[in-house]
Amino acid sequence: MTLSVSDPDRRRLLAGGASLAGIAALGLCPAPARAQSSLAMPQPDSAEADRLAAEFADGAEPLAEGLTLDLPALGDNPAAVPVRVHVTEPITEASWCEEIILIADLNPKPLACRFRFTAATGSADVAVRVRLIQSMPIRAYARMSDGRVLMARQDITVAAGGCGL
Amino acid sequence: MARPPRIWISNEAPAPGEVVRVRTQVVHVMESGFRLDAEGEPIPEDLLTGFTATLDDALLMEWLPETAISQNPYIEFTFAARQGGTLRMIWSDTKGVVAEAERAVKVG
Repeated sequence: MTLSVSDPDRRRLLAGGASLAGIAALGLCPAPARAQSSLAMPQPDSAEADRLAAEFADGAEPLAEGLTLDLPALGDNPAAVPVRVHVTEPITEASWCEEIILIADLNPKPLACRFRFTAATGSADVAVRVRLIQSMPIRAYARMSDGRVLMARQDITVAAGGCGL
Repeated sequence: MARPPRIWISNEAPAPGEVVRVRTQVVHVMESGFRLDAEGEPIPEDLLTGFTATLDDALLMEWLPETAISQNPYIEFTFAARQGGTLRMIWSDTKGVVAEAERAVKVG
């Protein structure tokens, strides 16, 4: 006997196989049916980030120069987005960076981290990996020893979900 | 300390004044406190809260991570090697010291 598509036994076999595969697929992927697994909610706007920035600047007017923020335009893994912050102007005995803050505007807690340096560091260049709840602006502020505050800002788009917050 | 931190140093014998780059990563869960367990109860927050790097007695940098820092935190920093000494790095969380590491840096 030759097998052909029109063979009724073979048809039944194929149909049975397909439904079995369907059940297996459902059993293996229960995740979408699970209830909410995180309480993390994004900030509605940049108000909290602005407050943090103002607190850090402490009256000084932030200058959009001398500080560079390197991050990808598209964060393909929102659970670990590489971010580098560095002061590009020369670090000297008279003018060195005291502190840098990194702010993720719309994260549940916008302050991502602080970095503090001393005159002994002789440099201000740091990189970390952050997790982001959604696409948002990222900013960094640096306070120099002479009182100036430098700032840098960049927008990032991240893939939805998978944040891990 | 479950596993020692991973550390990379651009140059352990730099010229005087050379900028040395250090990259490190430590194992830490960085539980945000937002996630719920299978029963719907929030999992308590467990975050790395501090990292310090010192060269002998001189503090080079201090890092204060918050919720937004990824699991198994990675930190990269640079310093100008003005004198040699022991580069000492300490990671800590609310329960105490998570990890410590030392590297000798010889200048000249």
